[in-house]
Amino acid sequence: MWVLGGLLIAFILVPVVRLATTSSLGSLTHAAENAQIRDAIQLSLQDAAITAAIATVVGVPLAYVLARRRFRGRNFVQAIVDLPLAVPHTVAGIALLFVFGRTGWVGGPASHVGISFYGSQWGIVTAMLFVSAPFAVNSARVALEAIDPNIERAARSLGASPSFSFRHVTLPLAARGVITGAVLVYARSISEFGAVVILAFYPVTAPVEVYNLFLQSGLTESASAAVLLLFVSLATFLVLRTLASGWLFAGAERERA
Amino acid sequence: MPESGLLIRGLTTRAGSFELKDIDLEVAADKALVVLGPSGAGKTMLLHTIAGFRQAAGGQVYLNGRELTRLAPEHRGIGFVFQDAALFPHLSARENVAFGLRARGESRPDRVEELMTRFGVSGLAERSPRSLSGGERQRVALARALAFEPDLLLLDEPLSALDQPTREELRSVIQDLVSGLGIPVIHVTHDRDEAFSLADDLAVIVAGKLRQSGDAHRVAAAPGDAVVARLLGWAELGRGKATGGKVVIGEVSLDAGDHTGAVRVFYRPEEVLLAAVGSSSPAPPSVTARVQRITRTFPLARVLLGSDPPVTALMLRREIERFDLAVGKTMEVAMPADAVWIIGSAQN
Repeated sequence: MWVLGGLLIAFILVPVVRLATTSSLGSLTHAAENAQIRDAIQLSLQDAAITAAIATVVGVPLAYVLARRRFRGRNFVQAIVDLPLAVPHTVAGIALLFVFGRTGWVGGPASHVGISFYGSQWGIVTAMLFVSAPFAVNSARVALEAIDPNIERAARSLGASPSFSFRHVTLPLAARGVITGAVLVYARSISEFGAVVILAFYPVTAPVEVYNLFLQSGLTESASAAVLLLFVSLATFLVLRTLASGWLFAGAERERA
Repeated sequence: MPESGLLIRGLTTRAGSFELKDIDLEVAADKALVVLGPSGAGKTMLLHTIAGFRQAAGGQVYLNGRELTRLAPEHRGIGFVFQDAALFPHLSARENVAFGLRARGESRPDRVEELMTRFGVSGLAERSPRSLSGGERQRVALARALAFEPDLLLLDEPLSALDQPTREELRSVIQDLVSGLGIPVIHVTHDRDEAFSLADDLAVIVAGKLRQSGDAHRVAAAPGDAVVARLLGWAELGRGKATGGKVVIGEVSLDAGDHTGAVRVFYRPEEVLLAAVGSSSPAPPSVTARVQRITRTFPLARVLLGSDPPVTALMLRREIERFDLAVGKTMEVAMPADAVWIIGSAQN
């Protein structure tokens, strides 16, 4: 058990550490000073944050319905939520292109009001949202399912409207799961390549930029940009993860124990 | 329709294949109705339907002359206490009690304080529900359910999850509460002792049907069918045939009153009289029987007597000592007429 587990951990850790130690501090500074790389990283962070916000706002109500209501077709809806996890991301990108491309069902009408998904930040967010939304829904759903329905009934019997009860009872109790979901969406979005590269090659996000550098200049050149991206995304992820599971919800942690 | 109190007419509700059907109940203001029934009888379902957590499939609920049947729970003005208290874990005890007022946009710290004092939890005001004992939680839950001055109080087995000393303590808290509250109270339980210690009226629900309801002591003294009889502590002596005002079961012959035909005879084990053989035995028809088994619990002991049919006597432990009872000893056994209840087979 220990041997197999250790092998997996090593398998994950060795390439990351090898990559992290491959670049000199000088080449990292060089990469950081490169406006193109910097813009790409900034764009990735920004669009991942927008995606996390949208996925949470749209995902939590759906999670609530899935957690609390028993209706016909509930399993089917849950399967649809999980669908993006099973679809190869390049396939997702092509599917999205049919709908959000310049002549697509949504892309066509949207272009008339001046919104283009193809080759724009909207496209990047759309692609990120498609592949990462399941994390927001599922994480919130698990947290909501863990809340005793009697606690919500108590709130209603005490005079709370459904919205008062949701804001003051349900949401605070599920906050941990909701925020964990947002962090997962964020992490998944930063790392997204396949769907983004097809729907919105430009403007260039960080993973796309790394791929471009790899094609144009080879392994060594792309490595420093890759390391930079690795550090930035790992750092933000770790900070958010600590916030979500650490001191911010120390109270919630105790409850589970 | 009464201007005050709770009136339930033909209330029906379904969950899957289970149905709670045609429930008629009435609870006057300042009266406590205890709903007694085995687990799974639909007692909680009944309370949930009255409170509006569950939609009624038919029938009506009126409170103080106002129909509630289709209202959302927050518009019914009903205080609800859950078996597991269901306190808000992210709020302090005080914030829990104040929740109902806060949801109405009111702030009445003195009202909150008054209730916390009344239930003996004012010293725990800042504590998290997680750090409270089961009994303390239920006290906070009671204060919370009453803070907004509801028109009806529903208690869903509030004592079932507590250990026995706490249960007895809280039972007397609820007893005191109910007598001076001035609003109707429905208390649901599967515990007979609890039911009789709190009930003005009693309703017995079995398998989704209201079997019997009315004044608690009248229901207890005259159960309508065998299931209700057993729930209310009657033991079955046996089945027999009533002819000429008599029914004979084994070697016991009893007065059958107006009953004729197949009957089932029940008796109250705590009313069974024992006496030493040959002593001036009690007047009722008596038989002699050997003691087969003695089960000592607190504060009572059950004595199984090998008469035909076998009879169980429930007695104080000190009476065992007094009679010097032991397995194998032969005793005179008698059953007073008011400890016997006969149910015609039509009601079975």
